[in-house]
Amino acid sequence: MTDTDAVTRFEAGLADVREAFGSAFGEAADEQSLRAANAKLTGPEGTLTKLMKLMREVPGDRRREFGQAANALKEEVAAAFDGALVALAQAEREAELAAPHIDVSLPGRRPKPGRLHPITRVTIELVDIFTALGFDVAHGPEIDLYEYNFDKLGFPPDHPATDMQDSFFVKSDGARSMLRTHTSTIQVREMLKRKPPLAIVAPGAVYRRDDDITHSPMFFQIEGLLVDEKVSFADLKGVLTRFAQRLFGPDVGVRGRPSYFPFVEPGAEIDISCVFCKPWEGDAARTAACRVCKGTGWLEILGCGMVHPVVFESVGYDPEKYTGFAFGLGIDRIAMLKYGISDIRMLYENDARFLEQIG
Amino acid sequence: MLASYNWLVELTGVTASPREVADKLTGGGLEVEAFETRGEGLDSVVIAEVRSKTKVPDKDKLSHVVVFDGEGEVDVICGAANVPDPGRRVLFARVGSVLPNGMEIGERKLGGVLSRGMICSEVELEIGTGAEGIFVVPADIEAAPGTPIADALGLRDTIFELGLTPNRPDGLGHIGLARDVAVHFGQTFTPPAPPEPARRGDGELGVSIEVADADRCPRYGAGLVRGVTLGPSPFWLRYRLHCLGLRAIHNVVDATNYVLLEHGHPTHAFDQASVRKRAIVVRLATDGEKMTTLDEVERTLTADDLLICDGEGPVAVAGVMGGANSEIGDATSDVLVECAYFAPRSVRRTGRRLGLHTDASHRFERGVDPNGVPRVLARTTQLIADLAGGAVIGAGVDENAQPIAPPVIDFRLDRCDALLGFETAPAEAVRIFEGLGFSVEKTGERTFRVTVPTFRPDISREVDLTEEVLRFRGFPLVPTTIPHVRPSADGTPLEVRFDRLTRGIAAIAGLYEAVNYAFVSRPELAAARAPEASVILENPLSEDRSVMRTSLLPGLAAAAGRALRRQVQRVTLFEVGNTFTATDGDLPREDQSLAFILAGPREAWIGDGEAFDFYDGKGFIEAIVGPLCLSAPVFSIDDELSEKAPWFHPRRRAAVAVQIDGEHIALGSLGELHPEVAEALDLDTRAIYAELSVPALFRARQAVGDPQASALPRFPAVNRDIAMELDEEHSAGVVADAIRYAAGDLVEQVRLFDLYRGEQVAAGKKSLAFRVTYRDPAATLTDKKVDKAHARAAKAMKAQFAATVR
Ligand SMILES: [Zn+2]
Repeated sequence: MTDTDAVTRFEAGLADVREAFGSAFGEAADEQSLRAANAKLTGPEGTLTKLMKLMREVPGDRRREFGQAANALKEEVAAAFDGALVALAQAEREAELAAPHIDVSLPGRRPKPGRLHPITRVTIELVDIFTALGFDVAHGPEIDLYEYNFDKLGFPPDHPATDMQDSFFVKSDGARSMLRTHTSTIQVREMLKRKPPLAIVAPGAVYRRDDDITHSPMFFQIEGLLVDEKVSFADLKGVLTRFAQRLFGPDVGVRGRPSYFPFVEPGAEIDISCVFCKPWEGDAARTAACRVCKGTGWLEILGCGMVHPVVFESVGYDPEKYTGFAFGLGIDRIAMLKYGISDIRMLYENDARFLEQIG
Repeated sequence: MLASYNWLVELTGVTASPREVADKLTGGGLEVEAFETRGEGLDSVVIAEVRSKTKVPDKDKLSHVVVFDGEGEVDVICGAANVPDPGRRVLFARVGSVLPNGMEIGERKLGGVLSRGMICSEVELEIGTGAEGIFVVPADIEAAPGTPIADALGLRDTIFELGLTPNRPDGLGHIGLARDVAVHFGQTFTPPAPPEPARRGDGELGVSIEVADADRCPRYGAGLVRGVTLGPSPFWLRYRLHCLGLRAIHNVVDATNYVLLEHGHPTHAFDQASVRKRAIVVRLATDGEKMTTLDEVERTLTADDLLICDGEGPVAVAGVMGGANSEIGDATSDVLVECAYFAPRSVRRTGRRLGLHTDASHRFERGVDPNGVPRVLARTTQLIADLAGGAVIGAGVDENAQPIAPPVIDFRLDRCDALLGFETAPAEAVRIFEGLGFSVEKTGERTFRVTVPTFRPDISREVDLTEEVLRFRGFPLVPTTIPHVRPSADGTPLEVRFDRLTRGIAAIAGLYEAVNYAFVSRPELAAARAPEASVILENPLSEDRSVMRTSLLPGLAAAAGRALRRQVQRVTLFEVGNTFTATDGDLPREDQSLAFILAGPREAWIGDGEAFDFYDGKGFIEAIVGPLCLSAPVFSIDDELSEKAPWFHPRRRAAVAVQIDGEHIALGSLGELHPEVAEALDLDTRAIYAELSVPALFRARQAVGDPQASALPRFPAVNRDIAMELDEEHSAGVVADAIRYAAGDLVEQVRLFDLYRGEQVAAGKKSLAFRVTYRDPAATLTDKKVDKAHARAAKAMKAQFAATVR
């Protein structure tokens, strides 16, 4: 191959490229074909790249001249490529802006979060109300000694008071044990573990031998206990009023009447204003027709009282120095009231459609 | 307990309305759950006098009666056999009356006569249980024809239904209730004085009394009424018993029942002539001893049961039920009345053992008044004599072997005020105590010594008296204060807070929370191939719920199966709950687990995705463990799972753990359910299940401690892909690790982005493609450096896995 050949071929090559690139880029309909056209020119095997390799064969005196020409062309091609890219993007955007509308009726793509069970949801709400007042949270075993469930709470042996809590017993050769019938067992355990002052709430599953539309053999309770010097019944009423209003709204009233639980004295049952017929709104006819409160305007929600000195004695606290209050309420009952659940068994069927309504 | 408003009014002289009395009782802790008015709606049922009666021809069961109803003479056809002679009075429902059962009285043509009304029986009017015929008004009831029967017979009353707590046996009699009512309304209550029997005869009981077990029978009284005639009780008494839920039998039994409702103290009447060998012995049964109780059931007794026996054998189970052999009958002439105080625990144990709960045992097990025995005995014998004739003989017997003294309690009003949070004046406290029949001795300006009679066994300590103050001053008086809660040193344990976090993160990850019963059946556990139950219930409600669960799988599988059968498309349920294992100690071990089950098609944008598989489960675990423990879970094939978790598909399962600073913490396992297990659990689809230990998750989180922040990268990363074909046996994780190792420190991440099996690759082979992210934390990477690292990776693939890199 002669030098003259090289010059000729080089010149011809430059001319070809110069002629071709404009239309090659112009014809590219999308980015991919544009890039392909560009690769034909400037890629490793591209015409322009090959031309540059031909430079070595061009005679020395012409090399500078040709080098400049080739580089100028290369820049021209690069600029044209960039320009074509921009034009394509622009055209694509214009096309998209002018395209038919998307079908907005197609379903949305959802991140699918799960659900907490209503029991958990209510437990969290209750626990938060009491922790904000300074209570700690405690847990305890679901199967406990008869002693902790009854004796240490002041239930007299062979007393009909235990009939109020029909129990499941566990077969055992050792100490008599049972499924706890109330979370009050945790009171006992915490008091044995800690010294006053002491403020705890303790949620958990409890078990009683009942099974109907309003009773489940397993259900959930939350226990509250405050022990300190000079705790009074007025404090109990205050805390429960605060609790009821936080949970159901500021208009909810609280009333109570004496009742009997062996581990408190005085003991009381607490009602709150019916949250369905809302008697505070003054619609007496609505209350009269209310099936939830049976027309009374009140709902019984919890039992409570001042810790019985006998309980303090059983855990080694001085009942002359310390007083305290305890309360226990059914979480299921609160969930049913809050979410309008009429059959407690719905809570334990775990139907996703139900959980979606409430969780 | 049912209580009569009229009776309470008779006892106290209170004039308040039934509603006011009910509210006060409830406010004082004797809850009136419901009340019902009696004698209402009978205004057009009146007293009428029979003027004539003739048989209806050809209908010998029907009489044509002419009655005078105060307004005029009316023709009535009556089917009763006991239509009285002219001059006697009957209860007559005029046309238009509506009887309690809803029947409306109209005119009817019967036997050729237009019958305009109806002559009624007790049952038709729901004023008693006498159904043998129409009610003939006794001569001693003064009422002119035309008087509404509600007035003539004194039918108007309000019956309270009380929900009494078991600490208040005094509320099981009207006298006890009356005490509370009187104090509520500021009335002075004087209980009826112990009666002096009017017709006291001379002589002895004629029967010897021996109490062989004074611990169980601290006090035993007996009296004799001689020469009674059995017959019906007067209407007022029958009506009162009827309203209070007891059936009138005959005057002797009615008398004991009446006293039961009056004093709340059961008594028992024996036919004195049937007491063999003229002896009564109160003793324990011997094991296996038998007797037949009034309900005609033969009972087998134990040495823990107290009996009343005569000279030959048992005649009653003490405090629970009498025997068939000593029952009062038509031939009875002399009645032996027993009034005793039995130890409450003893009665309760026997009642429970025999499955017998009677009006008597209900009261004895709560505690009747031991010192009320003489009064109640005197009242009963006198009432029997009044109703059934005969004479009360002698003073009776009162064996008081173990006198029970009323407790004496020191009461400090300051302490009472501090506990209740409001002040009570000394005079008010004294009024309440004395009104309740306690005796009060002043020991200081604001201190008292209070003697509490034994009819209130619920009061034994100072705080019990404080409760009495609250009961009568009322809950509304209690102010509301918010205590300043002093923080305790211990605070809420981290484990407790972790519980909430666990549930929250599982829900955020996309799972729905389930709560299942902790008791299951053995077959369910067996179907799930779960460990055999070791915590067994002694008294389950049913076999279905007779053992404590050892796995959360049966509950979740049942919920999943139920959902699928109800055409819920997709199940993604989780549960945080305990499993139970017996131990050598007193209590079983409770292990808290987080378990989940997946079944159905996974979510797709449109239509359904493919069925959930192992990797969905893995994804959920990664989504939970990552944020919960701040470390990535590791999944490994573990042959021990065949033993430890036989519920999984043997080829589609993994052990789950985390590695933290070289420490291996096992969390649990994950896998597809074994097809046989899925079948046994009634799931007709594949399901993915995982069970992780919550304490292990907690330990992992604790081991991580506070995560330490490091600077975010300042230099750009470079991505390079590597694709290869290789034998199936090499797991993607191992290949990724080899890439990371071979390519060296510049590797930031190796991510599988394509997996292919099929026509394009040879059988037994698969194609994997990874994206490798390279980054130099200290400089911008050059292509050269990346090329070299990436080439090392490609070489390693060929060398280690005989892979064809493309
Ligand atoms: Zn209501």
